Amino acid sequence: MPPEALPIERADRAAVQAARRRQLFLDGLRTLGTVGAALGVGFLITLLVSPRPLSAYAALLTGPLTSRNRFGNWIEDATSLALLGLALALVFQARQFSLLAEGQLYLGALVAGILALHLPLPSGIHAAVALLGAAAVGFLYGLIPGALKAYLNASELVSSLMLNVVAQRLYELLLTYWLKPPGAGYTWSDLFPGSAVLARLLPGTRVNAALFIALGLALLTWLLLYRTSFGYELRMVGANPEFARYAGIPIRRVVLLTMAFSGIPAALAGAHLALGIHQRLILNISIGLGFEGIVVALLARNNPALVPLAALLYSYLRVGGDVMERTAAVGSDLVRLIQGFIILFLTAEALAAWAQRRFTSRRSNHVGA
Amino acid sequence: MWTRSSSSRRRGVGMAAETPLVEMRGITKIYPNGVVANRAVDFEVRAGEVHALVGENGAGKTTLMKILYGLEQPDAGQIRLRGQAIRLRSPNDAMRWGIGMVHQNFMLVPGFTVAENVVLGREPARRGLLDRREAARIVRDLSAAYGLKVEPEARIEELPVGLRQRVEILKALYRGAEILILDEPTAVLTPQEVQELFRAIRTLIAQGKTVIFITHKLREVRAVADRVTVMRQGRTVGTFRVEEISEEELAARMVGRSALPVIEKPLPRIGPPVLTVQGLHYVDEVGRHVLRGVSLEVHAGEIVGIAGVEGNGQSELVEILAGLRVPTAGEIWVDGQPLPWGDPRRIRQMGVAHIPEDRFRNGAALTASIAENLIADRYFAPPFSRRVGWLDLKAVQQHAQRCMAAYDIRAPDPQTPAGALSGGNLQRVILARELSRRPRVLLAAQPTRGLDVGATEVVHRFLIQQRQEGTAILLVSADLSELLTLSDRLAVMHNGEIVALFEDLREVTEEEIGLYMLGLKRREG
Repeated sequence: MPPEALPIERADRAAVQAARRRQLFLDGLRTLGTVGAALGVGFLITLLVSPRPLSAYAALLTGPLTSRNRFGNWIEDATSLALLGLALALVFQARQFSLLAEGQLYLGALVAGILALHLPLPSGIHAAVALLGAAAVGFLYGLIPGALKAYLNASELVSSLMLNVVAQRLYELLLTYWLKPPGAGYTWSDLFPGSAVLARLLPGTRVNAALFIALGLALLTWLLLYRTSFGYELRMVGANPEFARYAGIPIRRVVLLTMAFSGIPAALAGAHLALGIHQRLILNISIGLGFEGIVVALLARNNPALVPLAALLYSYLRVGGDVMERTAAVGSDLVRLIQGFIILFLTAEALAAWAQRRFTSRRSNHVGA
Repeated sequence: MWTRSSSSRRRGVGMAAETPLVEMRGITKIYPNGVVANRAVDFEVRAGEVHALVGENGAGKTTLMKILYGLEQPDAGQIRLRGQAIRLRSPNDAMRWGIGMVHQNFMLVPGFTVAENVVLGREPARRGLLDRREAARIVRDLSAAYGLKVEPEARIEELPVGLRQRVEILKALYRGAEILILDEPTAVLTPQEVQELFRAIRTLIAQGKTVIFITHKLREVRAVADRVTVMRQGRTVGTFRVEEISEEELAARMVGRSALPVIEKPLPRIGPPVLTVQGLHYVDEVGRHVLRGVSLEVHAGEIVGIAGVEGNGQSELVEILAGLRVPTAGEIWVDGQPLPWGDPRRIRQMGVAHIPEDRFRNGAALTASIAENLIADRYFAPPFSRRVGWLDLKAVQQHAQRCMAAYDIRAPDPQTPAGALSGGNLQRVILARELSRRPRVLLAAQPTRGLDVGATEVVHRFLIQQRQEGTAILLVSADLSELLTLSDRLAVMHNGEIVALFEDLREVTEEEIGLYMLGLKRREG
C-alpha cells in the first residue's frame, strides 16, 4: 500500500458495508431525533401558552387517531403531500430549485375538473382521462421554467414562483367566469359526475384511490431515478454539473425534462383534491400545499422511496395540530411554530451535511497552488 | 479589537530590521486525503518589504498562506510575529494580529456599495443604524491615504474586476491589516490593471505596510518584489533578493528536477496524423486573447508535450479540444473529421478522451459511487442502457469490477463514493474511464498534479502503454521533467502562442526550454 492510502482503501469490504448499513440506521435515527427535538421544543412552547398543556399536547400527538374522520384527514393529506413531495424530490435531486408544484397543482385540478365536467365519458375511463389530462398539463407547465433555465439561464426559483401566480389566477378566472354555475352562491363548480370521481376507500372519510396513485408514483419515481439512464443523468447533473458537462451529459435536456416530469405528481395532487376530495372545483383549493411538499422532500432526503413515509409523518403533525387547535384552544400559530422548528432543524441538518461535504471537497481541491 | 491592532501598529514602527516580521518554521500540512501540501516549510518576511512567493500550481503556496491567515491549521510548525509565537485559529485571530488576505475569488456582496462592503462586520453606527456618510468618509480617507481610488457609493456588481480587488484591499486595511497577503492578484487582471495594482502596492509599502504576493509569473516578481521565496512540491527551495537572481535561475528553481523514476520507454511507432489543429484563436469571456493562432499536429502513437508557465493558454487549448469551450476562430480535425465544437459527447464519440487538469472540479462526481463515475461517458449505450433507457445495474457493476482490477483502484467495492478516495486512487478511476474505451486521441492535462511518486509512476506507465497502442496523446504539464520523460515531441507555449517545437528532445535542456517558457526566446517550430 502506498502511504497515501486512506482508511477506506485499506478496510475490507464486509467492514465497510457493515459501516454503511450502520450509517443508514444512524441517518434514520438522526431524522427521528430531529423530529423529537422539534416536538420537545413544541412542548415547551405549549407549556407557556396553554392552561392545560398535557392534554393539549396529547391532542397533538394522538389527534389523528381519535376518530375515523380525523384518521381520514390524515391519510388524505398524506396523499397530497406525498405527491407534492415526489415532485420536489425530483427537482432537488437535479439541484434545480424550481418551486412550481403549487402552480402545477392548480392547473392539474383545473384540467381534471374541466375534463370531469365537460367531457362525457363512461365511468372507468372518465376518471383515468381526467387524471391523464392533469398529468399532461403538469408536465407541459414544467417545460416553461425548464426551458427558461436551460436555454436562457433564467433562475428557476424566480420563474417558478411567478408562474405559480399565473396558474392560480387562471384557475380563479375560469372557475369564476365559466365553471361556476350562474346564480350559485359560492364560487364552486357543479359536483362532478360519478364517472369522473375517484373511488372512496374508507366509508365516512374522503380517502380515495389517489392513495394508490401516490404509492405507485413513488415507486415509479424511484425507478426513474435509480434504474434508468435518464435518472442517472439527472443525479449526475445534481451531483456535479461541471462533471456532467465534461462527460457529455446533455444538461439542458436533463434540466428541461426534470422540471417537466416533476409536474406530473404535482398536477396529480391537484387532481386528487378535485376528483377525490372535493369532487368539484372550489376556490383556494390549495393554500400553499405545494410549499409543504418542500418539507416532505427534505424529510425524505429527496429519496422517492422515503417520500410516502415522510408525508405520513408530516401530515400526522398537521392533522394533530388541527385537532389540538379545535379541542384544546391552542392557536394554530403554535402548530405552525412547531412545524417551523421541524423545518429549521431539518434544514440545519442538511446544511451541516452540505457544509461538511463542501469543506472536505474544498480542502482536497485547493491543495497548494 | 481596535486597541489590539492599533497597539501592534505602534510596535511595528522602528522595529530592528534583523528580526523578521513574520517567521514560519517547520510548517507541515497534510490534508485528510493524504496529500502533503507543506513539508517542514520555513518562510520569513521582513517588515516593509514586498515578498513574492512563487512556485508552480500545487507547490503549496496557497496552503502556506492560508495557514498564516488562520484558514488552515498546520499539523506541525510554529508561527512567530515580531519574534512572538502566536496561534492563528481563525481569520479573526489573524486580523487581530494585523494579517489580512485578499483571495483569488473576491468575497464581496455584489448588491452592496463599496462603502458598505468595506465596513461590513465592523460598521460605524449612529443610533443603531449604519452611518452611511461615515462609511463613505472612511472609504474616501483610506482611498486617499493608499492611492486606491474607488467611488464609495458605487455598487460592487457595477465595478470591473480590478476595482473589486481594490475594494478587497481596502477592506483588509480598514480592519487594521499591517501585513497583506495577495493570492495571485494578477490572475484576473488586464495588463493595465496590473500596472495600477503594482502602483498601489508601492504606495502601501511607502505607508509602512508589508505585502506578501503569491504568483507564478516571474516577470511580476521582478516588477514589484524586493525578495522572493521559491516553493516546489511542498517545500521552500530558497529565498533570494530579487536583484540577485535572474528570471532564468528562478525558473530553474521553480521547475527543478524532480526525482522521477526512470521509465522504460519503447521506441515510438508513429502513425498518420490523428489530431490536427490549425490557426486556433480564443478570446475568453472577459475579452483576453488567450490563444493566438495555435497550430499543431499529433500523430498516432506519439506523445506531444506542451510546456509553458501556467496561464499561457494551455488549459484553454485542452478545454477547446474536449468541447468545454468554443474557439473564436480556427480549425480542428480528428482523423480528418472536423471537430464538433462545444459538444463533448460527440467529440468523445469521435474517440477523444480527456484527463482534466482539476480532477475534483470536473473529473468526477464525488458524491456518486465509483461505478457511477466509471460510466459517465457510456451509460446511454449497451450494455449499460438497454431498450427504453433501462440501466443494467449488473453490467454497470461488472464494468466497475473489471476497471477496479485492471487499473488497481483500491476501494472496498464499486459502491464506494468517489469522494472517499485519495487523489491517486481517484485519478485511477478517471484513467480507467478515459482509457478503457481505447481512445484515438488522449488529452492529458496535468495528469500527475498533486500525486505522490508512486501514483505518478502509475499514470506514466498507463500513458506509455496507451502510446504503444497507437493513441495520439497531447500532454500538458507544469512539470518539465515529466514532459521530458514522456514526450516524443515538445511544444512550448507562451502568451497564447507556440513559441518553439522541439522534434528531438535529446538535444534540449530544461534551462533552454525555460527561456522559451518565459518568452525570453522564440523560434518558429
